[in-house]
Amino acid sequence: MTPLLGRRQAALGLLASALTLTSCGEPEEEILPYVNKPDGLTPGVSQRFATSLPMGGYARGVLATTYEGRPVKLEGNPRHPASQGATDLFTEAAILSLYDPDRSRSLRREGRVDTWERFEAALLPRLAAAEANGGEGLRLLTGHLTSPTLLRLIGALRERFPAMHWHVYEPVAETAARRGAELAFGTPLTVLPRLQRARVILTLDADPLGPGPEQIRHNRAFAAIRTARRDNPGGLARLYAVEPVFSNTGAKADHRLALAPAGLRDFAVALAVRLGADLPVPALPEPAARFLDAVAQDLQAARGAALVLAGPWAPPEMQALVHWINDRLEAPVDHLPPPSGQPEDLAALAGALRGGAMDTLVIIDANPAYDAPADLDFAGALRDTDAFTVHLGPWRGETGALCRWHLPQHHPLEDWADLRASDGTASIAQPLIRPLYATRSAAWLLGLMRGRLSLESYAAVRETWAAQWPAESFEATWRRVLHDGVVPDSAATPLPRPAARAPALPPAPEAGLTLLLRPDPTVWDGRHANNPWLQECPKPLTRQVWGNAALMAPAEAERHGLREGDVVQLHAGGRMLEAPVLPLPGMAPGVAMLSLGYGRRQAGAIGNDLGANAYALRRQDALWELPGLRLVPAGRREEILRLQEMHRLEGEAQELLPERAFTDLLEHPLEPEPEEPPASIFKPLEPDAPVAWGMVIDTTLCTGCNACVVACQAENNVPVVGPGDVAKGRDMHWLRIDTYWHGPEAQPRPGFQPVPCMHCEAAPCEPVCPVAASVHDAEGLNVQVYNRCIGTRFCQGNCPYKVRRFNFHGYADGQEYANQGEPIVAAHYNPDVTVRGRGVMEKCTYCVQRISAARRQAEKEDRPIAEGEVRTACQSACPAQAIQFGDLRKAEAAVSRLRHEPQHYALLGHLGTRPRTTYLAQVRNPNPALEEPEA
Amino acid sequence: MAQHFSPSADTILRAALAGAALMVVAFLAVLLIRPYTAYSTSQNRIVEQPVQFSHAHHVGGLGLDCRYCHDSVENSAFAGLPPTHTCMTCHSQLWTNAEMLAPVRRSLGEGKPIPWQRVNQVPDYVYFDHSVHVKNGVGCSTCHGPVHTMQQVWQDKPLTMQWCLDCHRDPAQFLRPEDKIFDMNWTPPADQEERGRKLIQHYLIETKNLTDCSRCHR
Repeated sequence: MTPLLGRRQAALGLLASALTLTSCGEPEEEILPYVNKPDGLTPGVSQRFATSLPMGGYARGVLATTYEGRPVKLEGNPRHPASQGATDLFTEAAILSLYDPDRSRSLRREGRVDTWERFEAALLPRLAAAEANGGEGLRLLTGHLTSPTLLRLIGALRERFPAMHWHVYEPVAETAARRGAELAFGTPLTVLPRLQRARVILTLDADPLGPGPEQIRHNRAFAAIRTARRDNPGGLARLYAVEPVFSNTGAKADHRLALAPAGLRDFAVALAVRLGADLPVPALPEPAARFLDAVAQDLQAARGAALVLAGPWAPPEMQALVHWINDRLEAPVDHLPPPSGQPEDLAALAGALRGGAMDTLVIIDANPAYDAPADLDFAGALRDTDAFTVHLGPWRGETGALCRWHLPQHHPLEDWADLRASDGTASIAQPLIRPLYATRSAAWLLGLMRGRLSLESYAAVRETWAAQWPAESFEATWRRVLHDGVVPDSAATPLPRPAARAPALPPAPEAGLTLLLRPDPTVWDGRHANNPWLQECPKPLTRQVWGNAALMAPAEAERHGLREGDVVQLHAGGRMLEAPVLPLPGMAPGVAMLSLGYGRRQAGAIGNDLGANAYALRRQDALWELPGLRLVPAGRREEILRLQEMHRLEGEAQELLPERAFTDLLEHPLEPEPEEPPASIFKPLEPDAPVAWGMVIDTTLCTGCNACVVACQAENNVPVVGPGDVAKGRDMHWLRIDTYWHGPEAQPRPGFQPVPCMHCEAAPCEPVCPVAASVHDAEGLNVQVYNRCIGTRFCQGNCPYKVRRFNFHGYADGQEYANQGEPIVAAHYNPDVTVRGRGVMEKCTYCVQRISAARRQAEKEDRPIAEGEVRTACQSACPAQAIQFGDLRKAEAAVSRLRHEPQHYALLGHLGTRPRTTYLAQVRNPNPALEEPEA
Repeated sequence: MAQHFSPSADTILRAALAGAALMVVAFLAVLLIRPYTAYSTSQNRIVEQPVQFSHAHHVGGLGLDCRYCHDSVENSAFAGLPPTHTCMTCHSQLWTNAEMLAPVRRSLGEGKPIPWQRVNQVPDYVYFDHSVHVKNGVGCSTCHGPVHTMQQVWQDKPLTMQWCLDCHRDPAQFLRPEDKIFDMNWTPPADQEERGRKLIQHYLIETKNLTDCSRCHR
């Protein structure tokens, strides 16, 4: 029988008393049940629904987790080909954009709030009058659309207005790719590379592993051909990259050659000549010539499984050249029929705006006032026109501010829609929450213009599919499709391999300094500029946050007398833009790169006035490549916020992220079988613990895409701190991707290493906590008990991996950055995870809420936790399945088997921390003909 | 010379010092004992509700099972409070126009939930899951007391961490077989220790790790 008041209880009692002396007791709390509880909904238990999200018009399937009708997390849909169960960082961040306080909430007429009725009263008579001349003065502008419903509605609109013009504009467009396919095959086919069937891949300024609608698919396929395992030693494919900029794909390449656009074009032509093209042979400098020899030999030897890729920014003749090369190599590529419909482009629309040839313009979910090329001056045309301009969009943005009417649109997560993936697979998107504000859908507007006054998007989507599915089983099919998230058998059948025409010579790029524009790896084309998770997500390789910079080779920067942080004036085509310089090893000489999507003025509280607006330099004839660049120092400096410098681990890159050829590793494994564990003051863990959680991360498969970083942030309510605190090193990411550079500066080979908490068996953070807030549980997790933490930060100091994060301010609790304290933002929090207050330490918990949920479910069902039942957020998100998590007690679990691979090692293992998170080192498959001796 | 201090000055000083010391001791005693009183734990305090729902009548008198209203107790962390429609299953026909049920009718008519005032509360950093307790042999009355006798509900137990640990350290004292979970009249039999140990094996409860911090705090 314990004494009435032990010493510890006395201390706690005193503390509790002292703290509550001023209050009268616990605050009263209300419980509000439903009036009529929906069927199948259990309060406190999450429900998952399948839907799809668009990117550039293409679908990625998602499974959304909702609590009582409120979505909090998006994951991949295993049944959707563009998702295969994984996500990318844009999908993960979409949940926060749903609750963005800067979303458009009310209809505006010339900036003043107005009503839907008055809008209809203004629009409908104009449309009735326009019918007289077939809608000649009516123009519609949308982004790239694959939605069968919206395409059908536009078609119906054309029936009412045969002379109507429909324009499509995407800042990152496929026009060059379509034109290239047309040059090669006669029709603008869709060409889908199948990386999983390739053994040798060459990318010519292409970035299949980088951001884009195909990122997940390509990463999964790449992982399938780059998995180095003991029982599959010869199984690695080989990747070559030739590029002017440093992309994720270039980082993973076995061999990379940095060439400016002129050299790249010569290289491509020389390769085509090697394969039999009738073109003049260009002279290649020595390193490029040797590279070409090796590549050509490798590609030809792997005929049928050799693949060459050109980026969407390559000129059409280059794309056609690559199609011809792939034809010669019998590359694993699928050719799909081109989409129907020939919408016009933005230039025609700008011309019509200026010329006064239109009287009504409807813009649906596009932002040309910001992202149109500068020489079109679309914003100016929009501002000066007398036409009746209407903008429908979830955010007002630059375009909504200039249009006469701005209509707030549903967020994609609030709306019924349908979408197609790039391979044609159709899926139906269902809303996950009742629309938060008084918004309407694109289907409604198109219906209104057609003459149907209150078309619901639900009805429109059902109508589309009722025409395609047999009537007697429509309801059953509808429910099945909604449940699965895909329409079965809707992928396009690949065409028989068409013959490619003999290639023409691609135009020679101008010599001299060239500015290259690329979509940004975290804000894409600027549409995500107001998403704080994406702004604070470090860009791969540079690890920059909250801004962009002009990247160039260190030698190039030195030539102009520029260092990191110097602001430079970029003069191109008669226009000027200022941007800070960031030297990046591996960039080709003669080239500078600036990413799109920054410099916005009306994105919202988060995205305004950040970075340099590359669209201000972009021209219609120079969308991606601006020759004749002049660099003039602006005479001032700007801090470039980069994350890795702040959490540097002690050790050499080769030690922290080893990189070997697999054959080397088979003979000399990184960790020989252990004899005696090193002596330690810590007791060994319970030998009979029910579960021993562990994680193995394969750095060979990781491409630095950042899906895991944002997934962890979404799942665990990790706050955003803003650029001010990031500059002080106070970023809060629980999972970070460190980049280590191997190789000499002329031939750098970066490696990506995701670093969550190591959950060390002998954790250095545990003995130093004065209040035992950092404790170990029986299953092997290092647990952070927030309610005990008093904020000494000793644990963070003692952690050799620097994985712990401290809430220096109430980042989620009263001192949020910018407008993140608005009540609606709190709706994104995961209710299963504590929202930490100020002064509390936090870190990766191996998603303890998921472990707990699985354990409780297993206990209720009187069974052990099944293998694969617990998937951490990062594991679920990773397209390459690089992160494996599971029970080390089970010999057949992936984590246990992977520990026996020769490239397995523990980060900083010599410290004796015995981490539960371990790694598989980076494995390359170099070509012996190109191997240089290690410097 | 005149004396500055009166003869009783010493006494006054000593009394004042003794009084101060006594006050300090009393203060510390209050601070030490206060958290363990019902005042601090909110025990035994009737909480006013918008509708004077009587568990004594409905459960004790009519014999309603707990799960008729608290329907998610076996599936969810949250035991569940009945939606207004559950009240109306009977009260659409019985006592339909009673004055006491006016807030229920208003809730149904306006579509606004009844604002029940929470009685049994644990802090937000405690993640308590009803379903796993109910499925593993902890009955309702063990933690909530004799609800079937409560005209209005009060918190019967302290719900402090110490109290939770009393069971987590030795569940055998408190477990009951499945058919008795919702039995308000159950009391531990004389051989509870023995039965409890058998029940732990029956429910396959892993007792070694029940006091890990991450069990309840995450």
